[in-house]
Amino acid sequence: MGETVGNLIGLNDEVIHPAATLAVEAHNSPSKQFLVKKIKIRHDLSSVVVFAFSGSMLPKDWSGQPTFAKTEIATGEFRSLTSLNDGGDAVVNGSFLRRFKDVIGNLSKAKELKEATEKKRQVVFAGYSSGGPIAILATLYFLEKQTPSPRCLTFGSPLVGDRIFGHALRREGWSDYFTHFVMKYDIIPRIMLSPSSTEHEQILDYFKSKFDRKNINPAPPSGFYLTVMGNASSVASYEACRLMGCRNPSLDIIKSFIELSPYRPSGTYVFCTGNGNLVVVKNPNAVLQILIHCAELGESNTAEVEKRSLDEHSAYLSELKDCLGMQAVVSLDGGPATATLNDLGLSPQAMLCLQAAEEFENRRSRNLENFRKYLEKVEVELEKMRKYKENAQISRLGYYDSFKLQNEDDDFHANVSRLELAGIWDEIKEMLKEFELPDDFEKKREIIDLGTKYRRLVEPLDIANFYRHSKDKETGAYVIGGGPRPKRYRFIQRWLEHDEKKSFGSRSESLFWADVEQLGIDIKKKGYLQEIEERIQQVERNLIAWIGDRSLDDDVLLENSTFVKWWRDLPPQHKPKSDRIEKLIGEMSERVTQGTKI
Amino acid sequence: MDTETSLFESSEMLATFLSSTPVLQDSWRLCSLANTAATVVTDHVRGVAYVAFPGTVLPSGEANLVALDGAPDGLFPPLQHRHAQHQNEDPPMIHAAILDHFRSFYTSTTFHNQILAVIEKSKAVVMTGHSMGGAVASLSALWLLSYLQSITSPLPVLCITFGSPLLGNDSFSRAILRERWAGNFCHVVSNHDFIPRLFLAPLPSLSAHHPHFVLQFWQLLMNILQSDSERAKIFGFLLPYIQEWVANMEEECVKSPFSPFGNYLFFSEEGAVCVDDAAAAGKMLELMFTKASPGSSIEDHLKYGDYTEKASWQLLMRKSFTLGEPPESSYEAGLALAVQSCGLANQESISGPAKDCLKMAKRVNRLSPHLNAANLSIILSKNVPYRAQIEWYKASCDKSDDQMGYYDSFKLREASKKGAKINMNRYLLAGFWDNVIHMLESNQLPHDFLKREKWVNASHFYKLLVEPLDIADYYKNGMHLTHGHYLKNGREERYEIFDRWWKEREVGNEENNRRRTTYASLTQDSCFWARVEEARDWLDQIRSESDMRRSAMLWQDIDSFERYATRLVENKEVSMDVLAKNSSFTLLMEELQDFKSKTQQFPPQFPAFLNGEMVP
Repeated sequence: MGETVGNLIGLNDEVIHPAATLAVEAHNSPSKQFLVKKIKIRHDLSSVVVFAFSGSMLPKDWSGQPTFAKTEIATGEFRSLTSLNDGGDAVVNGSFLRRFKDVIGNLSKAKELKEATEKKRQVVFAGYSSGGPIAILATLYFLEKQTPSPRCLTFGSPLVGDRIFGHALRREGWSDYFTHFVMKYDIIPRIMLSPSSTEHEQILDYFKSKFDRKNINPAPPSGFYLTVMGNASSVASYEACRLMGCRNPSLDIIKSFIELSPYRPSGTYVFCTGNGNLVVVKNPNAVLQILIHCAELGESNTAEVEKRSLDEHSAYLSELKDCLGMQAVVSLDGGPATATLNDLGLSPQAMLCLQAAEEFENRRSRNLENFRKYLEKVEVELEKMRKYKENAQISRLGYYDSFKLQNEDDDFHANVSRLELAGIWDEIKEMLKEFELPDDFEKKREIIDLGTKYRRLVEPLDIANFYRHSKDKETGAYVIGGGPRPKRYRFIQRWLEHDEKKSFGSRSESLFWADVEQLGIDIKKKGYLQEIEERIQQVERNLIAWIGDRSLDDDVLLENSTFVKWWRDLPPQHKPKSDRIEKLIGEMSERVTQGTKI
Repeated sequence: MDTETSLFESSEMLATFLSSTPVLQDSWRLCSLANTAATVVTDHVRGVAYVAFPGTVLPSGEANLVALDGAPDGLFPPLQHRHAQHQNEDPPMIHAAILDHFRSFYTSTTFHNQILAVIEKSKAVVMTGHSMGGAVASLSALWLLSYLQSITSPLPVLCITFGSPLLGNDSFSRAILRERWAGNFCHVVSNHDFIPRLFLAPLPSLSAHHPHFVLQFWQLLMNILQSDSERAKIFGFLLPYIQEWVANMEEECVKSPFSPFGNYLFFSEEGAVCVDDAAAAGKMLELMFTKASPGSSIEDHLKYGDYTEKASWQLLMRKSFTLGEPPESSYEAGLALAVQSCGLANQESISGPAKDCLKMAKRVNRLSPHLNAANLSIILSKNVPYRAQIEWYKASCDKSDDQMGYYDSFKLREASKKGAKINMNRYLLAGFWDNVIHMLESNQLPHDFLKREKWVNASHFYKLLVEPLDIADYYKNGMHLTHGHYLKNGREERYEIFDRWWKEREVGNEENNRRRTTYASLTQDSCFWARVEEARDWLDQIRSESDMRRSAMLWQDIDSFERYATRLVENKEVSMDVLAKNSSFTLLMEELQDFKSKTQQFPPQFPAFLNGEMVP
């Protein structure tokens, strides 16, 4: 208590109502793609520039094929909107995406935007109703471009993206830039939880004639509430079961018989209770539950609730005028406050859902804490590995070749370490897939660093083991599309590439040995074809670059290593970088002789 | 561990989810069509096939239990198959009359064609039925699940019954659980419906008092289902029977042999809960019946349409807590709400036991499946050294001067420290994997557990590496002399389960087509050595066999073993240790060729072994 909405969402209160007004105006001005307005903040005289987008109530702008207009988004301008493990790319509503793409060209060129950027003014993208999704996507577009963080405000916006979408936003730390205002009964923020149907069209038609002002009081449709909210309730109860740790296999069997909406809330939600109070919620699971439960049927009959669910979509301006600036704002994160729940009129069952949502977040943090001991174990094992590598270097063979020979007890112990480490990282992978770790886990510096260290040190041993057992004969080369390379390395590599904003596959230094081994095999099989020659050149270039930036360890250069022996055997005409590499080998040899390693 | 998971009671939320889907209403719609038409009805809704069985067809035959494996036509093979380790349990049994009734559908020529035609163009299948039709739907779903398993089809199957009578005994219920099919069944039971409770009274008393009671009951019921006008008359006729039945049930001197299986979705006037534990479901059937009147017990059997329709909008009602403030703890609050939804909140004498019952259902496993899988992974990685030591052992045996390979080295091991260590590792790993199987079969692991390559691969690798040692140990200790050969009598169930996991895994298109150019690191048939031992036994028998006919049969067996072994060796699916100079396989082959050349009866089929080319 005691805070205004502005405080909680990090935006001046004075901006919100003018932004809402502009959003409603823009929505009903189909002739312009967007409207712009500069708002002066009284106390510090800074300016905020608001862009608000027009809307459309045509069914084709809301739905499409396949069901729910599901479209994978992460290409080009939205490269962050993907899961860094198995989860695939984020899914968004394709019709909304299409409308965004119609607008983005002109928006990027807008002189007001350029000016705001130059003068370092805060930019806000705002949208009412179907203008909301465009505001959301535009904000993301500029966040990806790393322009000074724009903000997004929506009012009665439908849902845009799926669970991965929200996960990616939170992972990137962008979630707080998005604020969505939702009236307690407004049907539009809930509509995407239900597949498109005649009921959808009825609702959109009704608003279309209302907004077009052709008909001030169009006859409201009826009978849609049970359909739309029934489907929304399937989504909510399914998620609630998962949050509550339901272990009944029927849950997922039955899910395969129906098609649940993929869309989930993301960002910060501000629920307008209708009595002047605002409730701010950030936990996405809690938002979903509130969306459904606060619009439940109470004492009043279905027809009344149905009418309210339409009327409230047009009530944002009056509602916000009343309650902004007042301090009647409650943040639900960090425990549901009973008083608030009274305002939202939530049932005891709904309260349990909220507790489950909160507990889920707590559990993820706890899982991370519990995992620390495994991460410590990783450090311990990596240290053993490092020693193993050092000892191997003294014998001038290198740990790669020593491991491949498996002659010594040390090699055996290294193998045990390798397998134990694999167990831990596989587990991390599995937990990420189940969203059992915090969303920003894959962005944490320490995790990326530890993973990269692990990948560079241990993956060569997996490769050694692979070629020692000639597994390529059974499964094909170590590195092929979805081939035998363990997924844990793929993911860890991806974390680093994502963090450095590099393309997928550019950080494959841990695969150096696999390239060498496979080339050796392929040369025997095919001889020096053009393609092979190019691959040799690539290996040489990689070697020089990676030794240079120390992402590849120099013991590949040891005189007796598989690499040096193989490379020396190559006919001279295939070794364009011969001098350079001989020099590196020479330097290495000297270092070992002197017993010092730089 | 308690704080981790006993936080929430999800039985009511699951019921809400079920009621919110269109599956229940669509099923009921088709059931009532089937009842009116008195025949099987099929339909497609949004790509899902629905098959409804009429509840109006009269079963004939006796009201007792028959064992499934006694059936001559081999229905539901996965449920019949019982491994040696379960031999002390009762066999899975089901109600004889219902089985006969199902058979009357099953044997009709149209049944298979009808079902196969329906599933061909669907992405999922729902089998459904009301009353007796529900029991038939259950058996049809079991048949379909068995069939799909035999052709490894992933088509999802769901069985939804309305007011179905109990079907089988406890072993039957457990066999279904073991196949991981329990989640495919949802039995809807309305408040006081009498039929699902019918067989809760001990059968002997039921049939002793009224031998024709059940039969008559169905007959009358059938009339009600088809016409409402008979209702009053029939009620008057049935009520005394039911009263007596209730009296019998309360005596409870003999326990009913019947047991629920799958999920039970209980509907009351207040709401719904869904329970998947057999014992809890059985108890709930009793508890919710305590308030029933003879009238409501028949009425409710006929009111599934009302219940499902009401459930679809009741879930959007804001329900308040009827008895004061909800308890502080979220788990207790969830329990109290669930009991309220069963319509039992107002009677303390029942609400207490009902809570215990829901607690019991949850007790089985407090950790969520995903966390279990996570912990298991950690334990797996701790078990890795045991496995690595066995690998190391194999490698060192394979390299050793005695050239026996690890199978024979382990079989002939003296009391050495190394051998004892490996033997201990073998036990530790067996314990670990048995626990994994146990957790899987009792639903403590995620439903898609077996879709995780890691586990299927790890279990397969374990099997290939360790089963040869089990075989070696079996023959070392002379178990085959007392118990018979390993393959039929000594093989642990876990290996059969792993065989199935491996067979059912999703295979990428890359695999399987590749021909090996070097010998495999582990022999790809983990029972290879058991087959070698059997062949060795046959050869010994031939030497002493005088009966020509017997001897010819033995030669046939040896021949087929030889073909099998040759194929494996040629495809390089054996590991080097098999071909070691002194391995029992090499010795057997040499002896065989030697024996053949002496008897001159058969041309040698294994030239490679004669000149020793394949021996490294």
